Amino acid sequence: MIRFTLLLILSLLSANVGQASPSSSATHDTLKAATFLSVTRDTTEKATTALHYIFLFKGENQWLNKKNYFKKSLVFVNALIAAIIISITTMIILLVIILLNRKRMEKEEKLHQYLLEKYQSLIINYLFGNASPEEFRSIASDTYRRQVLIDQMVDVSLNLKGVESKKIQSLYKLLSLDKDSIARAYNQRWHIKIKGFRELAFMNIKDANVALYKALNSKNEILRMEAQIALVRLCDDNPFEFLSHLTSHFSLWEQITLHDLIIQHNIPLPSFQKWLTSPNPTVVTFALRMIREFEQRESEENVRKILIHPDPSVRYLAVQVAGDLDMRSTLETMKHMYKNQEYKICLEIIKSMGKMPDISMMGFLKLVIDKEDDVQLQIEATKAIKNNGEKGVKALVKLMSSEYKNYNIIIKHVLDRRIV
Amino acid sequence: MGFIFANIFFIITLILSASYLILGIFSATALRRYLRKNSYVKYDSLVLSPLSPKISIIAAAFNESKTIIDNVRTLLSLYYNNFEVILVNDGSTDNTFEEIKEHYELTKVNYYFDYHIPCERIRGVYKSKNPSYNRLIVIDKKNGGKADSLNAGINICQNSLFVSIDADSIIETDSILKLVKPFLEEKERKVIGAGGVIRIVNSCDVERGRIREIHLPGQILPRLQVLEYTRAFLLGRMAWSRLDGLMLISGAMGIFDRETVIKSGGYSIKTVGEDMELVLRMRRRMAEEGMKYEVTYIPDPLCWTQVPSDFRSLRKQRTRWTRGLVESLTTHRKIFFNKTYGRLGLLGYPYWFFFEWLAPLTAFLGFIFSVFLVVTNSINWPFYLLLFLFIYTFAVSLSTWAILFEEITYHKYKKKRDVLKLLIAALLEPFFYPMHTYFAVRGNLEVLRGKKGWGKAVRKGFAKKKKPIRRPSAG
Repeated sequence: MIRFTLLLILSLLSANVGQASPSSSATHDTLKAATFLSVTRDTTEKATTALHYIFLFKGENQWLNKKNYFKKSLVFVNALIAAIIISITTMIILLVIILLNRKRMEKEEKLHQYLLEKYQSLIINYLFGNASPEEFRSIASDTYRRQVLIDQMVDVSLNLKGVESKKIQSLYKLLSLDKDSIARAYNQRWHIKIKGFRELAFMNIKDANVALYKALNSKNEILRMEAQIALVRLCDDNPFEFLSHLTSHFSLWEQITLHDLIIQHNIPLPSFQKWLTSPNPTVVTFALRMIREFEQRESEENVRKILIHPDPSVRYLAVQVAGDLDMRSTLETMKHMYKNQEYKICLEIIKSMGKMPDISMMGFLKLVIDKEDDVQLQIEATKAIKNNGEKGVKALVKLMSSEYKNYNIIIKHVLDRRIV
Repeated sequence: MGFIFANIFFIITLILSASYLILGIFSATALRRYLRKNSYVKYDSLVLSPLSPKISIIAAAFNESKTIIDNVRTLLSLYYNNFEVILVNDGSTDNTFEEIKEHYELTKVNYYFDYHIPCERIRGVYKSKNPSYNRLIVIDKKNGGKADSLNAGINICQNSLFVSIDADSIIETDSILKLVKPFLEEKERKVIGAGGVIRIVNSCDVERGRIREIHLPGQILPRLQVLEYTRAFLLGRMAWSRLDGLMLISGAMGIFDRETVIKSGGYSIKTVGEDMELVLRMRRRMAEEGMKYEVTYIPDPLCWTQVPSDFRSLRKQRTRWTRGLVESLTTHRKIFFNKTYGRLGLLGYPYWFFFEWLAPLTAFLGFIFSVFLVVTNSINWPFYLLLFLFIYTFAVSLSTWAILFEEITYHKYKKKRDVLKLLIAALLEPFFYPMHTYFAVRGNLEVLRGKKGWGKAVRKGFAKKKKPIRRPSAG
């Protein structure tokens, strides 16, 4: 849209000064005469002169009016010419960059691919005893090739365990590549740090754990996440100890990544209830999620305790986890807390009651159907009653004949098996 | 007096050009940072994770019988674990609903729901008898327009996040993963919506709702729109997202927090710019309630859409966009230079007001003035040409920047020839500005005349073009 206005200016600015000047000069004269009549008019004249100074570039500054090209000021015309030259040069440079960049990318990709394949077979040969560490020395002396070798060693190590994994790690140290990784971990730039963290984690180098702990509460979420992953891999005795040091927000994205790491690499699991008392609510939510995913039912008592946690997101998740793990001792607490909770938690309470059907809750659930206006709460309460088997269905049939409220439509929805 | 005007406008132009350059710089830094961060992101963790949030995808369909089966198939095969597809048949007058009903073996269910947001009467909710399609819910409702259909979908869906999409768009398989990520990274500021890059599908090879091969559009108008979209998405929105002044999540695809949308009253049926209006209303509500929030933008291609390839369709689309813009801006005029709304009020809204709404109108005045100068023989031709060259080269160099951005980010057009074609398009593009000015003026006139509604749109479908059979030469 800027260009629309530019076009307007194009036409306005190109108005002939020779044509415009007499008219503005006439206005000026008229105003001059009027100053004798009133003070107001004097002010107007001053304002007009000011406008003249500002917008017509007609101040005392001789430099602005020194010479006229095309009846415009020298500075103005030169500025335009400079802008045109800059624009054309930029265009040409950008075009060259685009085309060269394509060529460079194609070339680099080919070389990278060639080196990757070459180094991969060399590493495999080494692992099977058909190559000596000396064959790697020449590669490690060149910066670019050394980096490709590091990447390849990290890649290969992903699929290795036991003796082979140890062998590749010792080769890494033998070629002094670990020093590169440590230096990277201490680098100021975050993306280089991340690269270092990854190499340290996969090559089992524990000499830079200080840098990892330091990055644990970084503002940069990617750096923080990579530090967490590296610490989980590098701390053999207590891989999740970092959770006790975590003061920053532990986002759901980080939690998902860590959960994925646990599954992919069979990380030994601690009892996550330890972190249910963490002062960091996001660590508590992670602990709750892990308790659910790894079915740590022994945490029932602690889960019940945090149903009254001050943070609503913790309460919400605690209710959900209790339902998912069939922690029936939480039912009474849930029933009592219901009336003081926000909508989202109330709904989750009813859903959890549906997951662990209990006859003693039916009265409460009927009350929810009767008193609540929200459709979702009514549906979930009806589902919860239905889940009580024969007794539940009987109760629903009785409800259908009620004159107090038309329950038929809700019950039909709940009984329709096609609706999940 | 005319000369005073000329200089006033010149100063405004300098501000405009400077702001555009600043936006470009902001975009470049934000994009660089995003791409670097994104290179470490493993979206795969999210695909099968039981911790990933459940999402509803809402698509409105009106008379889309040609494409609907393929498009629903694409939606059902998106790369995400936890989602449902809610297709809203907006009272189609062709056989859209019959096609879906038959193909996906639909049957009416006893669905009980609440009209949280008012919408036209829902005639029925359908689910498939075939368990392979258990993610699909189809709503059949009385015609009420796109916004009304999306409202119906929001009423039916039960998940805290929903994605609204155009049923005729081609969705990238990993788009949901990318869209949902900002919500998973949410900290003290609640994420209320996110959008991404929309690309142009014209001339691409599409098979069964998937893009087989990407081509640069063959026709001039879609090709010019490639440049326009690249500039808007990679230069403009990225910067506005960084500046917390984003006002638009494209209606083609966006993700929203359902609770915030419902509390804000859902999509407005009174405007044709319901996508922009919703974002403005949500932002306004959050700011007025003093809540910390953000609307984010992902500079990743999320979906592909067909753009008008002829003058008439383009005119209809652009006049509609102008109407939507004017309606949204006037409805929420309270935001204008109001510090309660933060950067939205002080930067985002004024930018759209001056540069998106008023600029084409002033440009129109400029054209008239040019004609007047020529007729009265008062034009300063050498200077006129100098200014023209300045504007022309400035415009082309901006487009070249956009091409470079495209090149270093997604590199979707692989052939070297395509880059040159885009550059030629950039050289031609400034000559099409009068056309856009005309569309904008027409849109404003339609607003004054009180025109409402979308007008008829004809879907071409993505049926793959058959290559012509080459006849053997006589010789």
